Amino acid sequence: MGYAILAVMAVGVVLMLTRVLPTAFALGLMAVVIALLAGATVLGDKNSVGTTVLQTGSTLLAATMIAVLLGSWLGTLMEDTGIASTLVRKIVEFGGERQVVVALGVYAVAVLCGSITGSAPAAMLAGVVGIPAMIAVGVRPVVAGGTVLMGIATGLPLDLIGWQFLSDAIKIPIDQVRSFQLTLFPIVLAGSLLYILVETRRRGARHAWAVRLDAKPASTRVRRGDAPWYALVSPAVPIVLALGFHVPIVPSLLAGVVYALLTTTRPGKLGERALRSLYRAFDVAAPPIVLFVAIGMLLSAVRLPGAVSALTPIVSALSPSGTVLFVLVFAALVPLCLYRGPFNVYGLGAGVAGVLVSGGVYPSTAVLGLMASYGQVLGVSDPTSTQTVWSAQYAGVRPEKVMASTLPYTWLIAIGGLVLTAALHLT
Amino acid sequence: MRTDEDLAVALLRATATHENRTEEQLRSWAATALAFGDELPLEDPDVRVVEEANGVARDVVTLAEYDARTHTVTVHTDSLALLADVAARKGWTDVTPDALRRAAVAHEVVHHRLHGGLARDLRHRLDHVVCRVGPLRVRGHVVGADEVVAHRYAHRASGLRRSPLHLSAALAELGG
Ligand SMILES: [Zn+2]
Repeated sequence: MGYAILAVMAVGVVLMLTRVLPTAFALGLMAVVIALLAGATVLGDKNSVGTTVLQTGSTLLAATMIAVLLGSWLGTLMEDTGIASTLVRKIVEFGGERQVVVALGVYAVAVLCGSITGSAPAAMLAGVVGIPAMIAVGVRPVVAGGTVLMGIATGLPLDLIGWQFLSDAIKIPIDQVRSFQLTLFPIVLAGSLLYILVETRRRGARHAWAVRLDAKPASTRVRRGDAPWYALVSPAVPIVLALGFHVPIVPSLLAGVVYALLTTTRPGKLGERALRSLYRAFDVAAPPIVLFVAIGMLLSAVRLPGAVSALTPIVSALSPSGTVLFVLVFAALVPLCLYRGPFNVYGLGAGVAGVLVSGGVYPSTAVLGLMASYGQVLGVSDPTSTQTVWSAQYAGVRPEKVMASTLPYTWLIAIGGLVLTAALHLT
Repeated sequence: MRTDEDLAVALLRATATHENRTEEQLRSWAATALAFGDELPLEDPDVRVVEEANGVARDVVTLAEYDARTHTVTVHTDSLALLADVAARKGWTDVTPDALRRAAVAHEVVHHRLHGGLARDLRHRLDHVVCRVGPLRVRGHVVGADEVVAHRYAHRASGLRRSPLHLSAALAELGG
């Protein structure tokens, strides 16, 4: 029966890859079929499709969903009030004609954006002004797109939403997620800085006499007022509270929202702006929330006793044991997290993580390290993920070009994460 | 007909970071940059020039580009031919691929020269003060001003009747 479940997963990957089904629907469908194969009844109080997978599974990641919504709210406010664009403009004015300085500055803004909200909304916050500004001072378009993505991925280990997700998905306390992510952060930072320093210099600054035939990029840049300087620290509020004062995730994000509102909005307009931006945040947060509903169902399905007992022998036999083999094998498998592959943490990878944990193949902290390391590659180099598609297209290049430009560095970061995992949690 | 200054204002307006600037601010920068381009002494290009054909893409036409590391100007011959074609249809007979090539190389030579001390001169002339501490003033970088300077210098160096800013605007009309 284990092999039948693996076959279902393989079919699911094909459905997602060929875009026959959107990822969330494919994951939901897989959850139901896997549950049935694992011997779950259709209805019933225990181990059933109706109760365990659909009812309980759909809200399994509820805490993550609320965090995503709040992060999106803060992101929407940063866009509405001009906080993000003001930050980028200041950096370009001070960085001047030195393309490395401008790239590093936009990267820093992207780290902040990535730490409060994930994927495409974060890329847009930093990139809408940041990408064309980098190109205007001579950064190559591929590198301009890659720099924003690297920044968002560097924010990932500091992303409160990500902590909540990994904690829920791998069933591990937030404290442990936080402490691993904080040790991973310097590795991601070093790899990203290497990317920017090497790639902006490998080929010199580029200045072109170029004429755009479509006016699209300019029209997507809406004119907004300037945010005052003290409002510019808003994106750092949640992480400072969560890290410095151990405030839980939801109040930390809420504090960021309140700070951004109070520093940019006249008292009479507060209620209106707060509500309007919150409603827009629902739009922004819809794709990840739908995905988290489906991932919750998939996790519930692979955690069913029938699925665990069917999959554990196979997965145990396939999984490398020993620290060296762990690093080598999983480093070689990095490409499997791209293109909606089986190690995509925001897809089937969450299910794989569930199997590895419930089967007791590795300690859950090691699974956390594995998934967090893969997440770093996925967040930057996957040409099917929304932030990569958006950044590449906005810079005027194909997403595959951004993958080719960034993958050597993100792969290196992932290997760093795997070594860290093996050293900390497998010995 | 729109003047070079109008077109330079439009160019700056379309450049990232200038979304919120006032019309007066952009107009003053445009005028300063054009004057700067007028005053640059004409010099023979001291860069390597290579020709390539792959300048025309679906939504952007690249006429020439400059690589600051190799000091190489790449002239895209297909783009120059396209622009010459657009100009011919408007009856601008002096806009030959040869004259355009001279303009394109001169444009990129300005970027080459702006990688030296000239950039500081331009920044002082634009005088965009972003930070003032007592007598100390920090002048900010004005994105796109170098492009305006390059266009004006290329106009003078090429001997074209219509300015590269006008020719660029004519080319942009292809997009509708
Ligand atoms: Zn130029």
